[in-house]
Amino acid sequence: MSDTMRSLIFSAVLCLVCSLLLTAAATGLKGYQQENVELDRRRNLLKSVNLVAAGGDYSAEDIRRLYDANIAEIAVDRSGRVVPAGEDTGVSLPVYLYQTGDAIQAYIIPINTRGLWGKIKGYMALESDGATIAGFTVYQHSETPGLGGEIEQRWFQENFVGKKIVGRYGDFVSVSVAKGVADTAVPEEKQMNYVDGISGATLTGRFLTAGLKDILETYEPISVQFRGQRMLRMPQAAEKKTQP
Amino acid sequence: MAGSSTKAMKTLSDPLVENNPISIQMLGICSALAVTVQLKTALVMGISLTLVVAFSSLIISSMRTIIPRNIRIIVELTVIASLVILADELIRAFLFDISKQLSVFVGLIITNCIVMGRAETFALNNPPHLAFLDGLGNGLGYGAVLLSVAFIRELLGAGKLFGIQVVPEAVYAAGYENMGFMLLAPAAFIIIGFMVWIQKSLRQ
Repeated sequence: MSDTMRSLIFSAVLCLVCSLLLTAAATGLKGYQQENVELDRRRNLLKSVNLVAAGGDYSAEDIRRLYDANIAEIAVDRSGRVVPAGEDTGVSLPVYLYQTGDAIQAYIIPINTRGLWGKIKGYMALESDGATIAGFTVYQHSETPGLGGEIEQRWFQENFVGKKIVGRYGDFVSVSVAKGVADTAVPEEKQMNYVDGISGATLTGRFLTAGLKDILETYEPISVQFRGQRMLRMPQAAEKKTQP
Repeated sequence: MAGSSTKAMKTLSDPLVENNPISIQMLGICSALAVTVQLKTALVMGISLTLVVAFSSLIISSMRTIIPRNIRIIVELTVIASLVILADELIRAFLFDISKQLSVFVGLIITNCIVMGRAETFALNNPPHLAFLDGLGNGLGYGAVLLSVAFIRELLGAGKLFGIQVVPEAVYAAGYENMGFMLLAPAAFIIIGFMVWIQKSLRQ
């Protein structure tokens, strides 16, 4: 048998063994991994409305219980109408409601946008006045660690709390990431719409700003309803969806 | 028999201090900078690398007589990469929080010069049991440096050890502040630099 033949056969066998092994591992562990990802998503959703503290120690059971007790999932269409559970209109945007009793405290919008290197996924919670940000979290991103990766840090996310998505006259302006510290980088009357930027991560900030504007604009019809005090109670039409 | 067990002992203990992969051979510095902000990540990284380098050395050494010379580097890489992916999958399934902090660095064990270096220089020329011990020793040597650096960085940078506050509130009240610099990568560079300096001066 020639040397080349021997090398070919050896590598073929090795590749086969390795791929079988990895396939087995990936398939076998998939359940655990997906459960972790789902739990992490829920933890972040709860974090955006301050139901779990950042860095706190919560068991899987705690997260599930808090989620089931406080969060309801509804869907709205592009005009802001609540889509009843079971009705398929093609376009429906998921919204999570944080409610105590039957009063809505905040609504949470999933953020899924483009970053510099990949998707940025997270949640933005808005208070029931439809204008004030209650919290912002990121649970998945591929930004550069230490630079754009700072978006997962507590200081950056807490930066958003209390900022407005509307201007002084109640008109929609979204929220932007400033280049540098918001207090010095933007004029005072606009500071309520700007959060501090991350030094060395101007592009991540720019992508996030554009993405947030896009998403908040899409959700604007439902925000308008909150601003008009028309969404204080859990909408009847969607009630079924809370009981999966 | 006595001779072979001393040799085994030496193979295991040599890379711990005498011939440490980081402080003497200057390998694997990149990941040592990245994962040493906290002891917890440093520990998981140290364990992962130890397992990967020990088992890759073991596997490569047991195949050393049948690996065709002309494709040996590719074979080494295939074995190492498979083990690293396996480790990554396991961490993501059972240590999810830590996997988020380690992010790409587990995957980058593949390119860690320590693993490749041990496979190429030791495992290909030595029997499996010695190769396994050599891998174990090198991994532990790497882990020891990682833990020492992480100990200093977490203590001075955050006042914590393994995430538990150890610097009491009273000290902060008296005006003590955490060194933010310790949380940045250059701090690890400086700490490793000092360790190398001290170790080399002691050896003379």
